[in-house]
Amino acid sequence: MDRFLFLVGTGVARGTVTALFALSLVLIWRAARIVNFAAGAMAVVTAYVAVGVAHATGGWWWGALAGVVAGGLLGWLVERGVMRFATTPLGGVILAIGLVMVLQSALGILVGPQYVPVAPPVSDRPWTVAGVPLGSPYDVLTVAVALGLMLGLRLLFTRTTLGLQLRASAFAPEVSRLLGVRVARMRTVAWVLASAVAALAALLLLPTELGLNPHATDVLFVLAFTVAVVGGLDSPGGALVAGLGVGVLMSLVTGYLGASATPIAVLALLVVVLLVRPQGLVAGVEARRA
Amino acid sequence: MSMHRTRPRTLAVVSAGALAAALAGCSTPAASSPGVTDDTIVVGTHTPLTGPAAAGYSSISKAVAAYFAYLNDQGGIHGRDIEYVVKDDGYNPATTQTVVRELVQEDQVFAVLNGLGTPTHGSVLDYLNENEVPDLFPASGALLWDDPEAYPWTFAYNVDYTTEAKALAQYALDEGGDDAVFCVLGQDDDYGTDFVAGLETVLGADGLAVAETYAVSDQDVTAQIGAMQAAGCTHNFLATVNGFTARAVGTAAKMSYPAQWLASSSGGDYPTLVGYLGADVAPVLLEGFVSANYLPFSPDSEWVALFQQVNEEYNDGEPFTGNTVYGMSVAYTFAQALAAAGENPTRESLVEALESGDVTGNGLMPLAFSADSHRSFDGVGITVVADGVQDYVGTAYTTDSGDGAVEPYDGEAPAPEGGGVPAT
Repeated sequence: MDRFLFLVGTGVARGTVTALFALSLVLIWRAARIVNFAAGAMAVVTAYVAVGVAHATGGWWWGALAGVVAGGLLGWLVERGVMRFATTPLGGVILAIGLVMVLQSALGILVGPQYVPVAPPVSDRPWTVAGVPLGSPYDVLTVAVALGLMLGLRLLFTRTTLGLQLRASAFAPEVSRLLGVRVARMRTVAWVLASAVAALAALLLLPTELGLNPHATDVLFVLAFTVAVVGGLDSPGGALVAGLGVGVLMSLVTGYLGASATPIAVLALLVVVLLVRPQGLVAGVEARRA
Repeated sequence: MSMHRTRPRTLAVVSAGALAAALAGCSTPAASSPGVTDDTIVVGTHTPLTGPAAAGYSSISKAVAAYFAYLNDQGGIHGRDIEYVVKDDGYNPATTQTVVRELVQEDQVFAVLNGLGTPTHGSVLDYLNENEVPDLFPASGALLWDDPEAYPWTFAYNVDYTTEAKALAQYALDEGGDDAVFCVLGQDDDYGTDFVAGLETVLGADGLAVAETYAVSDQDVTAQIGAMQAAGCTHNFLATVNGFTARAVGTAAKMSYPAQWLASSSGGDYPTLVGYLGADVAPVLLEGFVSANYLPFSPDSEWVALFQQVNEEYNDGEPFTGNTVYGMSVAYTFAQALAAAGENPTRESLVEALESGDVTGNGLMPLAFSADSHRSFDGVGITVVADGVQDYVGTAYTTDSGDGAVEPYDGEAPAPEGGGVPAT
């Protein structure tokens, strides 16, 4: 039982970060019907900005702020400079994959392949509850940031004019345009929001990993993509539920069956969900699917 | 259909022509091997310079190239400069096959030196041996490279994982005390399995209380370290690459779990681990960290002094790590083999020189190559980190990669002569 609790605790912390990153994919999907395959590479670029600022100022929070701002800027640049030329979904995917190569190679040239260690802003030593190491202050910070962000985004989408315009332009671009919504601008706003969220997720991930490296978010992206699909590409709530589920599943499988079985378990889950509920666990309204 | 029928015939004609050409080549006396001219020798390698594996390994080929540049400035070997062609394979076996064919067919290399990785180099092992290209010192501790009957052109360099594990296990038994609980964290491929096999040879089939594995795609090892903590493991062996050694030690520290760590040389390089863990906490976390090694890296070693100087002058003062020592040792050993292969070296004379036993290398113990064994070193020395310095503690063991006994070793390590330039 101790072991089970420990594994679940570990999985929750890891799953939250994945959920946050999946949220960024969901945001772009909702606005532009594009799966942003460049999300991982873009987040790594902003993480370098954040870690650079954090080292220069000595404050993690300044770094986080810089990372989020850089994330927003990069989202704007990528949407305006690259993605708006994608006229078909496949074109968007290919453009994004090209962007991954450009960004990762440029980073490799500029900063090299070495890992830069990133220290957590608060302690990552777990508390011991009845002899079981369970959750650290850093895990709590991660969960709090993730929940806060999701709540904020939910308010934005449901309670503000901007949110209404964002939803309208994703749902019915033509009609929205007729009604005076600047659909192209809404798409840009979604990209800015999404990349800022991804930047934050990457930053939260780094202290739990070896550190920063041009490939630091590769695995995170693959997992987040799985999470987004399992949860339903349209659904922020689905991303959270699926993120936690996948995190706990991975931790349990690693703990009880061994590390080699983990990727297989995640893939099996993906296959089962696609077979049984192709719209995702927390499905959106049928009519809103692309 | 007719296309299909004629194709083999065309092929046959072409290969007959090639055979004739090859035979003609053989019959010419003093014909030099590919890659050898009056003033140069071209050798090549495949290694990850891009992609996720680059972080751990891209510094090796730079160190090799730097040492060759140093040798060339000292006049080269038999008056020939060594040119080192480095091809990026991104640690992808499919790419390895392409770039190694390029090396052999287009760049006409004399030999392939220090091709990196078990899955990558394993994919060109047959190709190199079928084409009789000397395949020297693959950067991997797999058992695959020591098989002179099947692969007469391949010579190992790293001490294999099984031998390292046996030595580390013997050390743990000798030093561990009666209450020791032995456990292992291993990579989920041949690295981990070969290593665990070695441990079990010494500790007994039930000698390991917990055997955990990780995959290189894992984001963390919390679940594995948690299992070791719960089982009360006191001595944890690591068949991990440096990145995962750092993760294991860092995770255990986070969980306030003190243990004695004993890592393979492939994951036990102190300067590299400091890079991962951070210079502020690494000396504390790694105090007492045990590893194995077979190359000179003691701070007071003459080899290290020489390599540091070469690193400053020919390698832009890159960080000096285990990879630097490893790369330069490979370069020195190749130069020694080349010197022993005679004034007009051929691929055959290079292999003969290695099998003669004259090539001793610069390791802790002399290289053990012979006609029926292409195994490099017979054993390893034990290193411990004390006060932020990793050094040999004077204990070394020799053993085989089977179930032979582990014997203490106390021979002298060879010192550099002639400024690290092999005598010709």
